[in-house]
Amino acid sequence: MANRTYEVMYIVNPDTPVDTIGKLNEAVGKLVEKEGGTVVRLDDIGIRRLAYPIQKKEDGYYVLFEIEGSGQEIAELERRMRVNDMIMRYITVRVDEDRKAATKRREKREARVAKRTKFRPSASGVEAQAEA
Amino acid sequence: MEILDDRGLDVGEDVIGDRPRRYQRRRPRQVVPEYVDWKDVDYLRQFVPERGKIMPRRISGISAKDQRRIAQAIKRARSMAMLPFVAD
Repeated sequence: MANRTYEVMYIVNPDTPVDTIGKLNEAVGKLVEKEGGTVVRLDDIGIRRLAYPIQKKEDGYYVLFEIEGSGQEIAELERRMRVNDMIMRYITVRVDEDRKAATKRREKREARVAKRTKFRPSASGVEAQAEA
Repeated sequence: MEILDDRGLDVGEDVIGDRPRRYQRRRPRQVVPEYVDWKDVDYLRQFVPERGKIMPRRISGISAKDQRRIAQAIKRARSMAMLPFVAD
């Protein structure tokens, strides 16, 4: 099966005690593993000012997960996040396809630069120009 | 091509009507990174002026493809309260 990579970010109510948030993150990790996914990265961003108030709160506690899996664990995770009162907002973004497109684009760009330097190997300024 | 008949209009002014608008491109041919990260608020800010709206392509001067990617990233950042929908 196609393996997919997701970024899951959620904003926790800033009034929640820190150890409760830690437990929540642990629970998320466990849930993902139970559903057959893997947590690639856990980024505890912390309290950050919101650009606009959510549930009358001006701040929010941001947590970012990077998860690899089939998509099943995402479905379950979203279901749980929706009913969790601590989580004020969440978002899931599938990133593997965009990343693949990005590497393709980079390779193309590099190939173009290499081709140009091959024709004019003496001009070192060409490379800098191509990158600018 | 130059428009010869200017009828005393100030160049650069928006005239809705019988003649094409003229614009000064602000940043022609900007280079957009291969991967636009929706979490990189500092980068996205440069496409979001004061008011909070997404900068149109004619001002930002980026390609249509890049504009779509940037706009998508801004919208994601907005929904997570990292960028404002409106700011006043």
